[in-house]
Amino acid sequence: MAAPEVFTIAQVPLTAHAFNADRSKLITSLNTNEAQIYGRQGNEWKPEVTLSEHDKLITSIDWAPNSNRIVTASQDRNAYVWSQTTGADGNSVWKPTLVLLRINRAATYVRWSPKEDKFAVASGARAIAVCSFDADNDWWVSRLLKKPIRSTVLSVDWHPNNVLLAAGTADMKARVFSAYIKDVDSRPSPSVWGEKLPFNTICGEYASPAGGWVHSVAFSPSGDVLAFASHDSTISIVYPGGPAVITVRNSTLPYVSLTWTSEDALVAAGHDCQPVLFSGSAEGWKAIGSLDDAKSGAPLTPVSTGSSSGGRFASAGVGRLGTNEAFARFRNADTLGKSSATPGSPVSGGDSSGDTELMTVHQNTITSVRPYEISANGNVAKVSTSGVDGKLVIWNVSVPAGTGGLSSRLGGMHLR
Amino acid sequence: MILLESHNTIIQTVLAEKFSKPSSLDEHFVDYDGVRFRLSTPERKTLLRLSMNIRCWDQLAQYGAQQILEREYGTYLLPEAEPEYSVTLEFDTEKVPAEGAARDALIKSAALLKRIALGAPFELAFKNALALESGGSPPNATELMQIHYRDEEAIFVQAASDRVTVVFSTVFREEADRIFGKVFLQEFVDARRQPSIQTAPQVLFTAKEPPLEIRSAAGLKNSDDIGYVTFVIFPRHYNKPDVQNSTISHIQLFRSYLHYHIKCSKAYMRSRMRHRVAEFQKVLNRAKTEVATTERKTASGRTLVTR
Amino acid sequence: MVRPYLDCNSHALRPYLAAVRSTLTAALTLENFASQVVERHNKPEVEAQSSREVLLNPLVISRNENERVLIEPSVNSVRLSIKIKQADEIERALCAKFMRFMMVRAENFIVLRRKPVPGYDISFLITNSHTETMLKHKIVDFIIQFMEDVDREISEMKLSLNARARVVAETYLTVFG
Repeated sequence: MAAPEVFTIAQVPLTAHAFNADRSKLITSLNTNEAQIYGRQGNEWKPEVTLSEHDKLITSIDWAPNSNRIVTASQDRNAYVWSQTTGADGNSVWKPTLVLLRINRAATYVRWSPKEDKFAVASGARAIAVCSFDADNDWWVSRLLKKPIRSTVLSVDWHPNNVLLAAGTADMKARVFSAYIKDVDSRPSPSVWGEKLPFNTICGEYASPAGGWVHSVAFSPSGDVLAFASHDSTISIVYPGGPAVITVRNSTLPYVSLTWTSEDALVAAGHDCQPVLFSGSAEGWKAIGSLDDAKSGAPLTPVSTGSSSGGRFASAGVGRLGTNEAFARFRNADTLGKSSATPGSPVSGGDSSGDTELMTVHQNTITSVRPYEISANGNVAKVSTSGVDGKLVIWNVSVPAGTGGLSSRLGGMHLR
Repeated sequence: MILLESHNTIIQTVLAEKFSKPSSLDEHFVDYDGVRFRLSTPERKTLLRLSMNIRCWDQLAQYGAQQILEREYGTYLLPEAEPEYSVTLEFDTEKVPAEGAARDALIKSAALLKRIALGAPFELAFKNALALESGGSPPNATELMQIHYRDEEAIFVQAASDRVTVVFSTVFREEADRIFGKVFLQEFVDARRQPSIQTAPQVLFTAKEPPLEIRSAAGLKNSDDIGYVTFVIFPRHYNKPDVQNSTISHIQLFRSYLHYHIKCSKAYMRSRMRHRVAEFQKVLNRAKTEVATTERKTASGRTLVTR
Repeated sequence: MVRPYLDCNSHALRPYLAAVRSTLTAALTLENFASQVVERHNKPEVEAQSSREVLLNPLVISRNENERVLIEPSVNSVRLSIKIKQADEIERALCAKFMRFMMVRAENFIVLRRKPVPGYDISFLITNSHTETMLKHKIVDFIIQFMEDVDREISEMKLSLNARARVVAETYLTVFG
């Protein structure tokens, strides 16, 4: 199988990422108040446009594939919808539209609804703003889902019927709400989640097994199953018809993001620095293995280094000496106390023996995992992850057979 | 250097130089225990004056310092000291002995000015003790002599028929000094158990409480930061003139010696800590990713931290 | 990975440090979390203590009655406080000196808190911005190495003080002959 594609976009965290419909463009935020659009050129992502309107950290980004609109949410309590128009000089520009969120705390998460006529913004104001477009006034208006949220909402996910919305919150619950808006939505057909669904109906409330903040929620492709990941290192899968909640307890660090790849499989990623495939059914779920496996073919060298966007990355160094290997070695010996010995020779002395090395592709927490490529049978064939280490990685959704994928690579981070 | 020297190196070098090549000068300098010196040529460059100000001069004079200085320096000692000074010696460089052993001896003895002045009460005590031992009864022989040679610290000397007791009171300004001092003094007490040092004076150490011998003295403080060190000096340390001489030189430097080594230890600890902290810094630096290592500094050198 | 340690209790040190390492690794699962109390603010919740639900239970790992570590995790920050072994007055003084020495250099040790939490000798405050600019497993390495070395450093300093005191005392008394 092919090795994952690894892109080092920056040396700073990527707080969120999203692709456009044909995956030729990427939008991400480098842990700042600006969002950056990259265009793919061969094996590189070249920075193209910077979207700057927020004045605090951008927490979440979503790109509607069909209407080609971007929505960004930020800790400055605002969300903007960006649409591409032709500017005065004939070039296309991204025009921001402020959304009246009516929240007074940070916006933490944003997702377009499947039909792209609504989006939901999670916030620290203990509310979710469900936004729809008011054509008469030419702006986005919001209605707030408040009850019974008691803490910051960390994530949301839309049901395929465009009405139901799942939310994970820091009050250790995952909930399913109705986000039905009369003028926008047609009456939804009854589902496993309920029949009559006026706005703010609570269709389900599920506590995390050991009381952890619910970092991520996701509906299965059919919408009949809900999965959520919480800080107690569990993944819970909810079958509302059942009514059954299946909990997978993991010996890893908590997952913060998850996405379904098919009706019976999902990929979760987070503080463990590697995406893990889970699979199961109403009878039970289990971890299949990590997508990140060193034995899977080619060495995991970065395919490219983002680009030369303003010398943001790499050690600029001191003058001409910056690129000198000998200089770097002595500088490291001075500032890091490392006697970067020649490869192969064991490091002598006790100085660096306490070092832990992570054997994973991502060297820090994965902030977001999203579907990247849908195969012919409707399953997700590839997922993309963005990490605090500034890397963007595109993974094949398969665990190599015959390797103890999960166990072999987990050693780096947890109990030893 | 572990032991301190009892002579003053500045006096020694300057005198040696000026005796061979007279030139005018006016130098002020200090020694342990707040002793101030002045070397000057007020009238002509061949007439060199060495003045010393010592805090406890009145007490020293009371115990016969003037006589001892006269004995030691003879005509070099001026009858009236310069204003603001306790003792003044005057050397006419044209009349000092020719270069050689005699001149060196003179220079050496001038450099010992402080030691000789401060030696007076000890010499008196030893004399009294020897007299008592041989059945005599000199006046005030067992008087407790007090020399307040520093603001809050004093030396107490008392003679008896079989010994001379010397008590130092010493103040530890910082908590660390007090603890370090305790470690050192404990070693002084314990060291005597060593066979090779068993003949040394007996050392006793009490913190806070003054020892019995000096309870009668007025103005004793009773606080946590004060310590008392008692040396019991036996006749073997003062019954021969040369031994007595070296005992005096040695004992009067005790406080300086102790505090000097406490300070050395503290300096050593600091250098160790600085090294260890630098090592910790390196370990932490290893955690930083490339971008984070290029930190921004303000003009005053403080690091900017973005939150 | 625990390095050889010169201590009669070294067998007890290993699990102690391993427990601290695992707990701290688990606690260093931080995210950027804006204050839900104060508008447009973002501060370490473990210090602000304003939203109870984002604080996790504080945890004490104790090696013995004199040595323990307090780990207070929260959603966007972890506070780790160490009580360092101090067998006697000398070690207490040396420890206080050493920790003060470090804390006045807190600027360089970006994860160091300028004041320890009451009952402890030194505290570290690790926030999400630290785990973003530094590799979190290396931060853990740093804390563990610090705990190992600080004990050894203090006992070595004490030994050197005693050795010096002995030499000083013996030299002085030998002169009397």
